[in-house]
Amino acid sequence: MSSSATRPRRSRRRRAFSRGDRLTLSIFVGIPTLLHVVLVWIPAILTILLSFTYWTGINFGDITWAGLANYDNIVTKTPAFYDALRNNVIWLLWFGFLATPAGVLLAYQIDRQIRGHKLYQSAYYLPVVLSLAVTGIIWNFMLRPDGFVNGVLGRDIDNAISFFGNYDINIYVIMVMASWRHIGYIMLLYLAGLKAIDPTLREAAAIDGATEWATFRKIILPAMRPVNIIVIVITIIESLRAFDMVYVIYGTSAGLPILGILVFQNIAGEGASMKGAAYAVILFVLSIGPIIAYLRQQFREDVS
Amino acid sequence: MSGNTSPIRGSDLGFKMTRRELFIGAAGLAGAGALLAACGGDKAVGPLSFGARTVDESPTKQLKALVAAYEAKTGNSVTYNATESNAFQNNLSQYLQGTPDDAFQWMAGFRMQFFADQGLLVDLSDVWDKIGDQYSESYKIASTGLDGKQYFVPQSWYPWGLHFRKSMLSELGIDPDGIYNWDDFMKMLDGMKSKGLIGFAAGDKGGWEAMGTFDMLNARINGYQYHVDLLAGREKWTDPRTAEVFKYWEMLVPYMNDNVLDLEWDGAMQLLLQRKAGAMLMGSWFGGNFKEQSDADYEDLWIIPFPEINPEHKRDTIDAPIDGYCVAKNGSNNDGGKDFLAFAGDMEGVQAMLDTGVPMTSANKGQDTSSYDAFQTQQLAVMAEAKYITQFLDRDTRPDFAGPVVGPAFQSWFKNPKDVNKILESLQAQWDALPPL
Repeated sequence: MSSSATRPRRSRRRRAFSRGDRLTLSIFVGIPTLLHVVLVWIPAILTILLSFTYWTGINFGDITWAGLANYDNIVTKTPAFYDALRNNVIWLLWFGFLATPAGVLLAYQIDRQIRGHKLYQSAYYLPVVLSLAVTGIIWNFMLRPDGFVNGVLGRDIDNAISFFGNYDINIYVIMVMASWRHIGYIMLLYLAGLKAIDPTLREAAAIDGATEWATFRKIILPAMRPVNIIVIVITIIESLRAFDMVYVIYGTSAGLPILGILVFQNIAGEGASMKGAAYAVILFVLSIGPIIAYLRQQFREDVS
Repeated sequence: MSGNTSPIRGSDLGFKMTRRELFIGAAGLAGAGALLAACGGDKAVGPLSFGARTVDESPTKQLKALVAAYEAKTGNSVTYNATESNAFQNNLSQYLQGTPDDAFQWMAGFRMQFFADQGLLVDLSDVWDKIGDQYSESYKIASTGLDGKQYFVPQSWYPWGLHFRKSMLSELGIDPDGIYNWDDFMKMLDGMKSKGLIGFAAGDKGGWEAMGTFDMLNARINGYQYHVDLLAGREKWTDPRTAEVFKYWEMLVPYMNDNVLDLEWDGAMQLLLQRKAGAMLMGSWFGGNFKEQSDADYEDLWIIPFPEINPEHKRDTIDAPIDGYCVAKNGSNNDGGKDFLAFAGDMEGVQAMLDTGVPMTSANKGQDTSSYDAFQTQQLAVMAEAKYITQFLDRDTRPDFAGPVVGPAFQSWFKNPKDVNKILESLQAQWDALPPL
């Protein structure tokens, strides 16, 4: 109903731009756009194109068309791909059902100023200032065979608990490490949102006799919708793009295959092949797909 | 770059050259004397930079001594840049295409030939004209690219063999020279096990360590030619002969530490250093690490060839990788890089490294082997027994196969040795899916 009314108004406003305005605008919009296109879109599109070729990444003349061969190789011949997929799914589920809710819960409790909330807040916030690579280094010191934990348990390297080398548990060890930081990150985001909620909403709910849980579910959660969207998107992205921490601990070996590592393993070093590009495209589609779908649904709800 | 038109044939040739002819008779290292040809010493080449692919204590000491000796001799200043070796390897393509150091540390064989073929390395033929007579022919072959020119200056080599502590064996009453074949070896492992020790220290967290074990088992069971052909794709991973290798490997598993996939090579070395393990199959480069610990530990260290399995092949093959240097074409001072390598390859440069006291088996004929300590002399003996010399699995086969495919496959085998047939089928399928070179 509003489209016919807004259109003429918008065009009238555009005519009112002075030359200076237009110059400013084109600079402020143009330069970031240019950078975005050059640094994000062109490499992305080139990666997609290269994923259909064979190339060692050095001389342009060596590029040969491979069709779907790289994808076929990954999907039908590379067991590591399915191991990686499994690990990324575990990562996503763990973050989605444990770490992220834990962060939200923590933020909620801290916002209610439970006893010792300042301590919790700083304790959980601290890991967030560390990069994932540093997190990995710290935990590696703790858990490696000659590390702190095995030392405290009085175990030498010949009978050390194998935190990273036991393939049945290592993904969960990594999940604990990643959560250590992720919980604080989500807590921080959520806390910022909670501070912005009008306290009278909560008081009103309390006066109406709503339980804590009902208040959270019926009042806080809906009021926090914009933050929720960010939190969900971040959870998905963090789970799929995971790389740094695993790389710090395992390098490019397949000690814990995840998609991010497979991309790097196949595109870095002497073994460079466009199989790595194909992994990157798969990872890109997996990350962008659910996010676009989710955001579209959210925005559609907003419009209606 | 003309080789690109017939790449498959080109690389095949590379395999034949590196492996068949690759310093057969390299044991002729022994020739002492014949030192010092005219060395580099061009004073006008200006400042240059050198990229080391190690941050470990002992080799850093050696390389810094080399750089200092070069600076003192020529007055050219050298910027020393060190990178951890895995990181260096992973970034090498980008490094060489960007703004690399003028001279850098690298490895001989396929890995050097690949980058030479891509036009990223400087032809060092004129450096070889200066220092060539200080090296046996086999090293020159290992330094030569597919186009017949040299792109590499050797620094040192080390044999892969069975390392142990002499004192631990004598406690068991075993004579190291008595360990010749598989049965002797098993007897030693049982002896270690009965004393509650780990028999065979192993680590494969890095994904490459176990390749040495595969190399040696395959060469002992199926022979040099089969091993070389397998790595070049002329034999199949699904061949029952390949499966046989894993049968023997599985026999070793009960004697290994439980946390193979949690230890890197240095973790396995710690097991030996701390007397928790009886033997370890590894390259002898880690002698320096023992020496860092104490001279007594170093003197206790010993190496013998990996035991014979199939009498037909005796102990005739050994992995003996050569490390050395290259000059990067995209470096800012190619002449400087060459001048530095002419010095590093010359006995004068080698001597500067040896003077640090860190043990090194130099590739240079001029190194006085009479000054070798007992462990180094034994390395020569181990080398001399071998008729065929290979580099190492990840230097002898395609890089896009060794790292991303073979490494993870061996790791998954450690996870469950019963999966061997599935793993071998997958290896073959992934070899078949490789792009043509």
